[in-house]
Amino acid sequence: MKKANRNEFIWGWLFILPTMIGLMVLNIIPIFQTIYQSFFKTGDFGKGNVFVGLDNYIRLIHDEAVWQSLINTIKYAVIEVPFSVIIGLLAAVLLNRKMKGRTIFRTIFFLPMVMAPAAVAMVWRWMYNSKFGLLNFLLSKLGLGPVNWISDPKIAIVSIAVVGIWSVIGYNMILFLAGLQEIPADYYEAARIDGASSVRQFFQITVPLISPTMFFVCITRIIAAFQIFDLVFMMMDNTNTALPKTQTLSYLFYKYSFMQNNKGYGSAIVILLLAVILVITFVQMKIEKHINYD
Amino acid sequence: MKKRIISMVLVLTLLLVTTFGCSSSQDEKKDSSASKKDSLTLAIWDKVQEPGLRKICDEFTEKTGIKVDIQITPWDQYWTMLEAGATGGSLPDVFWMHVREIEKYARADMLLDLSSKIEESSEISMDNYFEDVAQVYQYEGKQYAIPKDIDTIALWYNKTHFDEAGMAYPDDTWTWDDLKVAAKALSNDDHKGFGSRIKNYQEVWYNLVYGNGGYIINEDQTKSGYDDPKTIEAIDYFVDLVKDGSSPDNTVTAETDLIALFESGAISMSLMGSWTIGELTGNDYVKENGAVAEIPMTEDGTRVSIYNGLGYAAAANTDNEDGAWALIEYLGSKEAQEKQAEYGVTLSAYKDASDKWATHAEGFDLSPYINVMDDTLVFYPHSTNTTVWEDMSLESLVDAWNGTKSTKDACTEIAEKMNQFLEEE
Repeated sequence: MKKANRNEFIWGWLFILPTMIGLMVLNIIPIFQTIYQSFFKTGDFGKGNVFVGLDNYIRLIHDEAVWQSLINTIKYAVIEVPFSVIIGLLAAVLLNRKMKGRTIFRTIFFLPMVMAPAAVAMVWRWMYNSKFGLLNFLLSKLGLGPVNWISDPKIAIVSIAVVGIWSVIGYNMILFLAGLQEIPADYYEAARIDGASSVRQFFQITVPLISPTMFFVCITRIIAAFQIFDLVFMMMDNTNTALPKTQTLSYLFYKYSFMQNNKGYGSAIVILLLAVILVITFVQMKIEKHINYD
Repeated sequence: MKKRIISMVLVLTLLLVTTFGCSSSQDEKKDSSASKKDSLTLAIWDKVQEPGLRKICDEFTEKTGIKVDIQITPWDQYWTMLEAGATGGSLPDVFWMHVREIEKYARADMLLDLSSKIEESSEISMDNYFEDVAQVYQYEGKQYAIPKDIDTIALWYNKTHFDEAGMAYPDDTWTWDDLKVAAKALSNDDHKGFGSRIKNYQEVWYNLVYGNGGYIINEDQTKSGYDDPKTIEAIDYFVDLVKDGSSPDNTVTAETDLIALFESGAISMSLMGSWTIGELTGNDYVKENGAVAEIPMTEDGTRVSIYNGLGYAAAANTDNEDGAWALIEYLGSKEAQEKQAEYGVTLSAYKDASDKWATHAEGFDLSPYINVMDDTLVFYPHSTNTTVWEDMSLESLVDAWNGTKSTKDACTEIAEKMNQFLEEE
């Protein structure tokens, strides 16, 4: 290795060292500890763990609640991700033009992102309330009957996903805006001269050129959607009829690890979640080949 | 070259800060707590109780010169905080203990054994407290906490609703049957007669289960009582209230708690624990319309109120053991326990020290909460892992409340699962 190269090598490592240490201490090591813990019946305060082999995983395979919550998690992601991406992209395209009050609109769209998720969930919980909620009050003004937004097992997960979409649109929009500003204006100018309509411009220029951003947004959103916890935890009581149809894997993990103090089984559940996310991300990475990075 | 040196220095400082930052701050903490022998931390979870408790602690400081720093952590995070503190060896000096958690902490030797200190003390005698509360904080014959308070149950009613219906207010002659008849009569399109809610087990249906001669868990904590016919009968009483329209159904009560329903006039009667008083007596609607009566009794005159109580515990590894004991001793003394009731903090665990609590909230006569202490007090049913079977039974009762399963089937299922949990304990 040349001297200059070696220097660069050392300096490079030095600069990423703080991040590396942080990642190791806060992420990588705990991942392995969790995997390790999932083979134990855990004792209190990290003492007296008993090795039980695959018992936690065997129990998990036979636990209907786990599989139902996996379905719930997938349902949530399937609703939240496409809608938040499409609406986010549309908002970004519309707010990328020269127009009055552009900054104000951008701020408004981004505002939900600034609020604490727990506070967002509390406010929505009251809006959805079947007896005192704003939504049912408006419905009654229109002469329609009340809807049990978060107590009807059929629609509760959709209600929760709507809150998820609402809170994340702004974030997706900002990412798309950044992507849109990378696209040279010449392309649109040339298209206009050739007489392409703005719809055609959107599909022929904007969509292909924004695909790297789109890819990034999709991957991060899907991972985040699979980890959804706060909305369910804040909005659903454990005596809610719809709970079995809305509890997600993260919720179950929290329930077992921290409410029932069974950290071993909780770890096994979260490892299942990790495996699911790994598989999905792997598939997405395969699709990445078709992304246009030029 | 110069630039290089500067950047090298920068990187090195950054490294030092990140890697040694944590350890140095820990050292500092130790130093400061060692130098502050004359101050203690007291961890609690209820901010409503803080003002009154602050006054009592200030009086303690006047007497002993030891300052008390009260730290409030909301209930949901309190146990996470305490567990992290216990695992990392940095528990607060003195803290509130709960029935559900005591065994776990005592078993792991996290708590200071108070037995010998109690023997030497002239202020503390365990006979002065309600027996169950004193006993529950023992583990293998050692006393790990001094009882702080107890809670009891009483019936709140909406005077306006009773007046409108032209009915007499509830009183201490009421039986559960009277309650059912009144609940039915009070129900209309605007409001329901009674709040029958799964989640409020301690306040609502546990009371009738024990009043009716049933039980939730046997005394050895080895067997579930959910399949006992008397338990099922009692639970069915509350399911019936929902079925015949005398109570809001589970859709409403799973989304909104009894306090909110009562405060908005959506229910006319509700059983409320003494710990909710701060919230209820501060509400304008309740001030205008609410009043309190004794919890109903069964036909044969048995009046049961489930009760529970907190304790003051100290950390086993506190570096100010004498100070921590002095604080616990004071908080458990007759003087402080009487003040606790007088300031309206809570009912006291010290027998006959709670009388002044009845009048602490202006405009309300809270004596039903104190009168019930002369009847049968049944201690909150619990075992080592209470949360596990408690959560399971609440979730399973949803089917009974919704009418998708008979109460008997739901309860039998609960008993089966609960016995399995108890076996694993």
